[in-house]
Amino acid sequence: MKNREWNDQIKQVLDGERELESLPPGLRREAEAARRLLLEAIDRQPVTLSPALDARIMARVRSRAVSRWPRAWRWLSAPTIPRWAMLVPVAAAALLVVLTRPNQQTDRPTQAQAVYVRFELYAPRASRVSLAGTFNRWDPAATPLVRIGKDGMWTVTVALPSGQHQYGFIVDGRNWVPDPAAPTVDDGFGRRNSVVSVNTNNGRIL
Amino acid sequence: MKRLSLVFVMVGGLAHGLAAQGDVRARLVGRVSPDLLQHVVTLSDSARTLGLPDAPLVDKALEGAAKGVAPDRIALAVQGVFGQLNTAARVMRSTGAAPTSLEIEAGAFALGAGLTGDDVAQLTETADASHPTMAVLQVAGALAALGVPRAQTVGLVRAEVRSGLPLGDLTNLPAQVQAAAASGVPPDAAASGLERAAQAHAGQSVQPKGKAKGNPHLP
Repeated sequence: MKNREWNDQIKQVLDGERELESLPPGLRREAEAARRLLLEAIDRQPVTLSPALDARIMARVRSRAVSRWPRAWRWLSAPTIPRWAMLVPVAAAALLVVLTRPNQQTDRPTQAQAVYVRFELYAPRASRVSLAGTFNRWDPAATPLVRIGKDGMWTVTVALPSGQHQYGFIVDGRNWVPDPAAPTVDDGFGRRNSVVSVNTNNGRIL
Repeated sequence: MKRLSLVFVMVGGLAHGLAAQGDVRARLVGRVSPDLLQHVVTLSDSARTLGLPDAPLVDKALEGAAKGVAPDRIALAVQGVFGQLNTAARVMRSTGAAPTSLEIEAGAFALGAGLTGDDVAQLTETADASHPTMAVLQVAGALAALGVPRAQTVGLVRAEVRSGLPLGDLTNLPAQVQAAAASGVPPDAAASGLERAAQAHAGQSVQPKGKAKGNPHLP
């Protein structure tokens, strides 16, 4: 059957253009043999691929694909303008971090803009007195007062920036005492805080 | 490139937020309980989102800890400070002002001293170039803290600003009330006297009656 040229009349039969019976007897047998061959070819069992083939193919595909991180980087950095311009957002981000760097003193004056405020308390029986407030993180040990003379007066001078400052005296490490010389406000804990307001613009202390 | 810019901006913002949180944590760690610390950090995040200062929140937590107050009560007090800051900022912004952190703190202080949101709004509107908002609110808060009634405090401060007297006279009001109180004069009586004096000064500085400007909308 290899390289065999079929007679045109047989081809017409195989193509359904002509009836088998119309062929001469010699050609008819040959046409029947050709039809059998053709039907055998059509009726062949379907090819079954090995299940491992899919896995092998996909493994090859994945091995050739770019991995996730390089692909993400390529997506991010695909240059649409010159590469030197990458420095612009880097600098902007750095500037943003520096300028907006949170700092509790951001819009508060520096110590050079502070006003010196003298605090006094008359506590003749106290063995120690200290000052705690918003200006020293309410640290009872940060600002001790000094006893002046023998009449029971304690004092300390503190540099305060602009703003309201709430404070209290701590006598003998345990008793919170408001400043009798200053206005007071509710401290939210059932006690009173003394208040001093400093305005460094004109050096006033309220 | 635009994508990369966006990423850098986002990273910058995130870094800022984390640094702010770290700052609050650094100030509180070792001073308050972990639960309270987390509560204050969360409130501080909210405060920054609303454009409020977070320092007063940290201060209140530190104060409570220094005074040996129970953590749950400290948390309530910190929440109260947050509310005052938020109210102060809201009423001040409602006047068209763009208050700074210190001005918001001054407004919150005035609220804490007994003034209302309306009072703070009125005082914010009263402030002018010669009498800055912060000073006006500080003085009002100090007067209220000294025991001057709320309405009288607002009236006195407004009269003082309108009189055109220098800032020093305004900031001296609490000391004057205190001095009067020390000599036995009640705060309200002292404030009344100061208000009359300010009004008298304002009356002296108005134009003579015959030269007053007419209403430009009338023929």
